[in-house]
Amino acid sequence: MLYALMGLGLSLITGILNIPNFAHGALFAVGAYLLVSAVGILGNFWLGLIVAPLGVALLGLLIEWAGVRRLYAAGHDYQLLFTFGLALILNELIIVIWGPVGISHLPPALLRGGVDLGFTFYPKYRLFVMVMAGLLVVATWLFLEKTRYGAIMRAGIENKEMVSLLGIDIHKLFTVAFALGAYLAGIAGALTAPIRGLSPGMGVDMLGIAFVVVALGGLGNLLGAIAAGLLIGVAQAVVAAYWTEASTAVIFAVMAAVLLVRPQGLFGIR
Amino acid sequence: MGSVPIFFDTLAQAYTRETAMSNQKRRDILKVGAIGAAAAGLGFPSIIRAQPKEIVILGLWDQTGAFADVGPLNDRGMRMALEERGMKVLGKPIKYITRDGATQAGTSTRRAEEAIDGEGARFMIGPWSSGVALAVSEVAKRKKVVHLFSGGTEDISGSRCHRYSFQWAASPYTAAKTVVDNFMKANPKAKRWHLLVADYAFGWSVEKYIKEVGKAHGIEFVGADRHPLGEREFSNYVQKAAANRPDAVAMINFGGDAVAGAREIFNFGLTPKVPLIMSWSSGVEELIQLSPEIRENMWVGTNFYYTADTPVAKAFVKSYQAKFKTPPGYAPSAAYSMTRMLLAAFDKAKSDDVQAVIKALEGLEVNDLLGKMRVDGATHQTLRPYFFLRCKPKKAMKHDLDLADIVATGDTPLPKQYAACKDIGGF
Repeated sequence: MLYALMGLGLSLITGILNIPNFAHGALFAVGAYLLVSAVGILGNFWLGLIVAPLGVALLGLLIEWAGVRRLYAAGHDYQLLFTFGLALILNELIIVIWGPVGISHLPPALLRGGVDLGFTFYPKYRLFVMVMAGLLVVATWLFLEKTRYGAIMRAGIENKEMVSLLGIDIHKLFTVAFALGAYLAGIAGALTAPIRGLSPGMGVDMLGIAFVVVALGGLGNLLGAIAAGLLIGVAQAVVAAYWTEASTAVIFAVMAAVLLVRPQGLFGIR
Repeated sequence: MGSVPIFFDTLAQAYTRETAMSNQKRRDILKVGAIGAAAAGLGFPSIIRAQPKEIVILGLWDQTGAFADVGPLNDRGMRMALEERGMKVLGKPIKYITRDGATQAGTSTRRAEEAIDGEGARFMIGPWSSGVALAVSEVAKRKKVVHLFSGGTEDISGSRCHRYSFQWAASPYTAAKTVVDNFMKANPKAKRWHLLVADYAFGWSVEKYIKEVGKAHGIEFVGADRHPLGEREFSNYVQKAAANRPDAVAMINFGGDAVAGAREIFNFGLTPKVPLIMSWSSGVEELIQLSPEIRENMWVGTNFYYTADTPVAKAFVKSYQAKFKTPPGYAPSAAYSMTRMLLAAFDKAKSDDVQAVIKALEGLEVNDLLGKMRVDGATHQTLRPYFFLRCKPKKAMKHDLDLADIVATGDTPLPKQYAACKDIGGF
């Protein structure tokens, strides 16, 4: 589910803005670190969980407004260099602000420990994250499907010229899409913090997986991103139960297999 | 579109390498680079540069790659040991040079050879990775230079032993014996163990001996899963471990892997109910990354812990903390102690001749950082205490760094029947 969340955010950005966002992993890390700071200041995990992703969305807003916006016409090379450089800067900033040593952050007391499901143990917090991520995916989906602005966004993926010809401010649309993508990365990071702990390089693994999800689902296809995120998560869990050593490799094996059969991705048209 | 994911992957890798470096490290590399460039630029014939007046010692410490975060710590320890002696031994000045091995065998061997040929280094310490060190050890043998190393492979003082390389870390057998014996003394009923093992040479050798020593205690190993180096997603492994309902979980891994594993084991609700054993930990460097709740009911085997009760350790910890605030973990302490051992060998030999120093190191006995330490002349293994800690629950901690008590030390050497170093060979 977390994979779906990351993939969805990246897919929004890739699809609507048509730029490869290499800073997506760094935004994920910033979300996690902001959560820890927010919880430290506010003293409450739930408030932190609300504030931290909003902070990341704000950062996303700033990034789009100050940087990405100027590069739409410049071609993929420049966009790639910009987002990649941005990822390095964010990463170093994390080291400067929060230090290079890893940090552990505990789940709220209510969600500590595991539940005995009879056949196995499962941590309460992970169950919560699953439900939470599921709700977020559904909420994002409903927003895109059922609201007017969501429809405009989807139209933006299909045909940008047409949307702007219809008198819609396409630049505002881009900004909102980038901020929304950043928000999803941020909340994925915040939710992950108690599970995986925090370290400055934490975004790197996630970035790789997010791109796998996007490629697997079909570039810019939102439903595809959700389906691909679920597929990868399930594949990883099933393989882990029988052949633990291969559980990381399976992510890439699934991607390779799907792309060999359907180079455009599961639901892709491009 | 087919090539795009591959491209992303390459970039992501480059990105990982890049992000592993902090500013401090970059500056260090620039410094080292500048020294190298200056040496190359001068272009003196090597005879003049390798004047025997000064003793050149190489610290092969990673500033980039998987152990980029450890190299600077190694460097601190080694530098402190040399500075204590005023950068002098036998009345001659010591020239300390470092090279970045990039945690890669190719780079490490190339830079070591360059330092030996170009700078006249005849003594080297490092690197941190056991896999890389095995390659560097071959360079030491070929170039006939003294090589000290600390790490988890048993081969340096085992199947690939030779006259020039020495091992500082405890034998995996000593570690396994210390951990299993003392854990069972405290938890005699915990007979069903689940193992989580890092899937490389170090993990395998410790696993082998833990199983061997476990037999004597009647321990049943209900599961043993191997994970790749650098694993961060432990839920699958821990879920399997939990399903086995073990009395204890033992991890044989190191650094970030151990931290991520311990965290996940806590999240699954195993600790503190089920005790967790870290069998080969870096000590304070790993423990500090976990919260007190996670550390509760954790038992830790380590090559060094900063509350070690020896005069040398106390003085070292004090001056290290004064300089760097945090107490020293395994990495700086190993470099510190290895350097002191090398200097002690100079004193004993009263010479800086390579063969004389090796002969002095063989059988060297010191009362140093860890207490009584002796280098076995037949295998070049340092026989020394290994530490076993019990982590403190939050309410028992007197301050933030009061993480654990040393409950026991052990120094049982590798029994003869397992010794793979049959003949250390000649010069």
